[in-house]
Amino acid sequence: MTAVAKDFLYRRKRERAIMFALLAMLAVLWALPLIAAVARAFAFNGVQNFTDVIFNDIGGISLARTYANTFVIAIIHAFCVVVVSALAGYGFYIFEFRLKTVFYFTVLVFLAVPATSILVPLFFITRELGLRDNYLAVALPEAALTLPFGVLLVRNFAEEIPRSLIEAAAIDGASHPRIWREIFLPICKPALINIGALSMMWSSQDFLFPSLFFSSPEMTTAAQAVLRFKEYLGATPDDIGRYNASLVLLAVPALLIIVFGLRFITNGLTSGGVKE
Amino acid sequence: MTRRRALIRKLGLKDALFFFGPLILFYSVFYLFSTGFLIYASLQRMAISLRNPRFVEFDNFRLLLTDPNFLTALQNNIIFAVVAIVAGLTIGFFIAVTLSAGVRAKSLIYAVFLLPTLMPLALIASVFRMLLESRFGGVNETLRGLGLDVLALNWLIEPTLAFGVVCMLFVYLIGLPVMYYTANLATINTSVLEAAVLDGAKTGRVMREILFPLMKGTHRTIVLSTLLLSFRAFDVVFFSTQGGPAGTTEIAGTYVYRFSTTGTNIGYGSAAALIVMIVALILATLQLFWTRGRS
Repeated sequence: MTAVAKDFLYRRKRERAIMFALLAMLAVLWALPLIAAVARAFAFNGVQNFTDVIFNDIGGISLARTYANTFVIAIIHAFCVVVVSALAGYGFYIFEFRLKTVFYFTVLVFLAVPATSILVPLFFITRELGLRDNYLAVALPEAALTLPFGVLLVRNFAEEIPRSLIEAAAIDGASHPRIWREIFLPICKPALINIGALSMMWSSQDFLFPSLFFSSPEMTTAAQAVLRFKEYLGATPDDIGRYNASLVLLAVPALLIIVFGLRFITNGLTSGGVKE
Repeated sequence: MTRRRALIRKLGLKDALFFFGPLILFYSVFYLFSTGFLIYASLQRMAISLRNPRFVEFDNFRLLLTDPNFLTALQNNIIFAVVAIVAGLTIGFFIAVTLSAGVRAKSLIYAVFLLPTLMPLALIASVFRMLLESRFGGVNETLRGLGLDVLALNWLIEPTLAFGVVCMLFVYLIGLPVMYYTANLATINTSVLEAAVLDGAKTGRVMREILFPLMKGTHRTIVLSTLLLSFRAFDVVFFSTQGGPAGTTEIAGTYVYRFSTTGTNIGYGSAAALIVMIVALILATLQLFWTRGRS
């Protein structure tokens, strides 16, 4: 990373050692709960906890199925956010119209609406559209919550594009949808990948929407299963071992998304947060 | 930006529909309609089936604003956010700066701090709950193993302790501040630091008096985003203490959830939801104006 701190901070050897030791201590402290969780997953029956959970359904829910559900929702969510924010980002970047600033601000101001605050209307919408136990009942509201951030990211990114690129195409007589598809999308790819990765991560974290709009065991997502498994598994040693193992295993989809998307996730979050 | 280019930038109806249509559709359903529905529902008394509503004017709001539990929930929200902010600005700052000072295994350590924040909070909170369980929890087992039975307390049952546990969880989720500082440190101009160090300033002073003030923008980002995230931190509380014991660790999210998903009067939950939404909109407005003012 930066040469800054590396060269100018902690120049005295002893100080350096103390600070690094302190950091290492903090890191151990932070890692402890994670390590403990993994260690406890082997309690009572060892590896059998894991094989039990992997090969047997728990309360009619199969672990593999929760992974699949999580990924399907994550992909629908990411797709909606990427397409809709790429379209709107182009719109805000290219066009001039009255009340544009007001419109843009109105889009962004929903940046922080908590999922809990729109639950009641969502019950109604889901029921009227007959979306219960349908992936869309979860993916669409998730997308709505991510959209303000998506539009912000695409527009910020687009502002760096030289307009001459777009203008050349427009003079050639290309329509805006074509310019969008053939020029704008490829240029904005980095920003779009960032939003896609973030959307997938946020989907993997979402417990609330699946728990309210999916009642069929078939549809259960990994985050939702955290509660379902707990309700189903009792307090016997066998069950406690299984529950602890399931906690570790339910982390897998989120871990995969984070490990493969970390660079995009951090890029996306920091470019949305720390705007320079 | 010049007039000459205005020609290609005029927004026709067809283009407007193509580029803004999907966005407007999403917003109309999930924000516009939702807000309207919340306003309507908050003035009714009705069951979760949403049938047979009875218009009750502002009764729900009157009840809500006199419910000490709701006020506690909002207050807790702020307290937990403040705890997270203070931890971010101190511990988070220290972690990011020290990480950038050429530590070994840097990316591993970075990952350790970042990972919990990016994981499903339901999982992280459940792990804490499991470890702090009074009888078989890992913490108490370890304490008893060390002969410290006195310290093996009812972490999730005693109100004060449960409150402390939730605070601890908010501190534990320090990933975003670390990430923001790390990103900003990479963009800092070295010459200021260089001059200070050559002048013989001690590290503590360089950190406090130069580095810290230099990152004003990042502090602000962290304060606001943490505050905003605390309203979305439903899972943290729901999976660790469920807002209990007796509402001591309730936050806005869990309160609204409780009254939106159970009970005989969904109108009451809607009123609470509406208030929380307004708070979120105000905070977002502040954030937008602040970040805009800087660029």
